[in-house]
Amino acid sequence: MHWQQEVARGMVRAGIGLAAYVPDSGMGPLLSALEACPAIRVLSVTREEEGLGVVSGAYLGGVRGALLTQTSGMGNSLNALASLNLPQRIPCLLLVTQRGELGEFNPAQVPLGRAIRPILDALGVQHYTPHRPQEAGDLVRHAAELAFASLAPVAVLLPRTFAGGNGA
Amino acid sequence: MVDRLEATRRLLELAGDAPVLAGIAGPAFDLYRAGDRPENFYTWGAMGVVGGLGLGLALARPDRRVIVLDGDGSLLMNLGTLATIAAEAPPNLVHVVWDNEQYEVTGGQPTHTARGADLAAVARAAGVRRAETVRDLDTFCRTLERSLVEPGPWTIVVKTRPGRSGRAPIDALRFRFLDTEGFRRALGVAPA
Repeated sequence: MHWQQEVARGMVRAGIGLAAYVPDSGMGPLLSALEACPAIRVLSVTREEEGLGVVSGAYLGGVRGALLTQTSGMGNSLNALASLNLPQRIPCLLLVTQRGELGEFNPAQVPLGRAIRPILDALGVQHYTPHRPQEAGDLVRHAAELAFASLAPVAVLLPRTFAGGNGA
Repeated sequence: MVDRLEATRRLLELAGDAPVLAGIAGPAFDLYRAGDRPENFYTWGAMGVVGGLGLGLALARPDRRVIVLDGDGSLLMNLGTLATIAAEAPPNLVHVVWDNEQYEVTGGQPTHTARGADLAAVARAAGVRRAETVRDLDTFCRTLERSLVEPGPWTIVVKTRPGRSGRAPIDALRFRFLDTEGFRRALGVAPA
């Protein structure tokens, strides 16, 4: 099974009902896999913190949400994460396609890609990285279960090597 | 020009048990002053995000009218949300934007609506077909009544009088805004 099918299956099994995304070039296969999941409504947002608002609103209404973003989009989301989700205890799954690590060609992606884990640590947001595509599904499911049990966002950082290809 | 607190009181009279989500500072403070109720959700940060929050709730709960109370300064921070709302087009979303043409809570610095930016026109251009600007209380109430029964999404920009409604209810909100589960319970959502 490809990584994207693993991740989509993990999301379905965790009961995710809504996925908001700002695309990353490595995310295409996952978006296609999610479009094939009738249980998950996939929607495009214009900015990642807006997406955090959407998945948080879905949670208020009883639907589990996931935000799909690249690492730079986590940068765009930090204030919403810190001033909405954390103090008001609104959980979600953060699926972050990693940029700025091995294989990166764009120097503008490197500083935030390198800083994303320390930033999440500083906020107290738990984050996990699957090392092999085959373990991505279970890891995503467990991360989502942790998020909705602990009433906090939990991040899964998807290595660039899963997606292959270059990015924008 | 409309008094925001008075308009919020009238809104709660018309809203029935519809959930109301309020954006940072003035909209949240006046919602609390106008009448705290279990179906109120107050944010106190995440400037610019309350429109997205309302969109997510409206998509999750198509059986309920969802009312968002936003501000001009906040909406200017995330105008893209209007395009997302238009694209998803939830018929049950009513996005009220109190437009006092200033960043009130930080000392009244003018926003760009004071210099001509027209948020209802932006909403229409983004694809929100039911987008209107109202300038008096009666028109606001009539427009809101329509928005609660006619399919949306709606953007109702309300030109409000600048100035605070009194001391901010920060001591009460400090605890009230933490009650996320209470709001979900009021909507009949089982615990996570």
